[in-house]
Amino acid sequence: MTGPTRAAPPRLDPALRAPLAELLLAMADDEFVSGFTDSEWTGIAPLLEEDVAISSISQDELGHARALYQLLAEVLDDGRDEDAIAYDREPEDYRHARLLDHPRGDWATTIARRFLYELADEARLASIGDGWPPLADLVGKLRREERYHRMHLVAWINRLANGGADARQRLEAALAGLGPDAATVFTPLDGEATLLDAGVLTRSMADAEAAWRADLTAVLVPLGLPLPHTMPPTKGGREGHSDAFRWLWGEFTAVRHTEDGATW
Amino acid sequence: MTPTVMGSDGPSPTTEIGHTSASGPVLEPYEVFRQEKDGDPMRHGGNVMAPDPELALHYAREMFSRRNESTRLWIVRRADIAILEDADLLNPPLDRSFKKPGGYVMRDKLAAARERAGTAKPAARAESHDRTGGRRQGGAGGTE
Repeated sequence: MTGPTRAAPPRLDPALRAPLAELLLAMADDEFVSGFTDSEWTGIAPLLEEDVAISSISQDELGHARALYQLLAEVLDDGRDEDAIAYDREPEDYRHARLLDHPRGDWATTIARRFLYELADEARLASIGDGWPPLADLVGKLRREERYHRMHLVAWINRLANGGADARQRLEAALAGLGPDAATVFTPLDGEATLLDAGVLTRSMADAEAAWRADLTAVLVPLGLPLPHTMPPTKGGREGHSDAFRWLWGEFTAVRHTEDGATW
Repeated sequence: MTPTVMGSDGPSPTTEIGHTSASGPVLEPYEVFRQEKDGDPMRHGGNVMAPDPELALHYAREMFSRRNESTRLWIVRRADIAILEDADLLNPPLDRSFKKPGGYVMRDKLAAARERAGTAKPAARAESHDRTGGRRQGGAGGTE
């Protein structure tokens, strides 16, 4: 094994390796891609304070991705570190949900996308059990940070919903446009049954999706906002990416690819 | 939105901010006080512009604690601060030297009192910001 020495990973049932890797990759790529997409607001957010806030939240998401890629590196144990996993893949090998595969869009689109994703991520994090302690530990920390992200987004959903005709119209259009892809965060996993048996997951992706739907309803209905028309997630919810993502991939790998193998 | 200002002839603190417009966000300044570590006093850290108190809280958090530099923040709408800056009230023109404690030498009385009580002069405040004036019970760096 190359790279820095880490504490020996707790014994991992070999049968759990592939399903765990699949789950970690989905979670990490979601955080990574959404973090990079939203970091596109740095310097051009609607107001200076929000510029700092959205940039900082994007960094938080990249931090979460990093922690998840590190766990993935332990599980895969193939000599790649978190940077190699994050940056040295072809665009088609990323497994983020289609919800996060859209261009940055206007501010309402960003808020709508983050809102749909953040609540979905919360439902997913609430589905992680203690079947693999390193992940359970990390999830405990992630949830403490995500609580603030949610508050920030719900504040913005409220403002846009009550902020005059233009703001509300843009928000409704964004929610409607993203609706069909919103549930792709809960794309069924090949190894879901194994993860449930091992207690890595405490409920299926379908059950997590139902919890998310109830959560969405509780926020949107009091604001008189229509619930997005979601489609039930199918197998391909994390595959086949857009030109917008291929462009973003070119951006976020550009520095890394200026000199392959360099130590940064 | 006019803040309570006593004795100010100049513009009120909010009128100098030109963020108000018919279509754009109406931003207001919020003053942020921060506590660096538990037990420290709250100190003024600076301010943020925000369209409402809820976002002010988020912006204060990102500006003053995203690098773990605060244990507590107070976020106060500037317009809610009562301001007193009237020179007649704060620095009256008549001689007030009789209200100052100058000329009253404490040192000898204090030394005598310490002798009676059998305590030594407290060490200079050292590593921590404790509120006991250095007279901590037991442990290293005690009263001896």
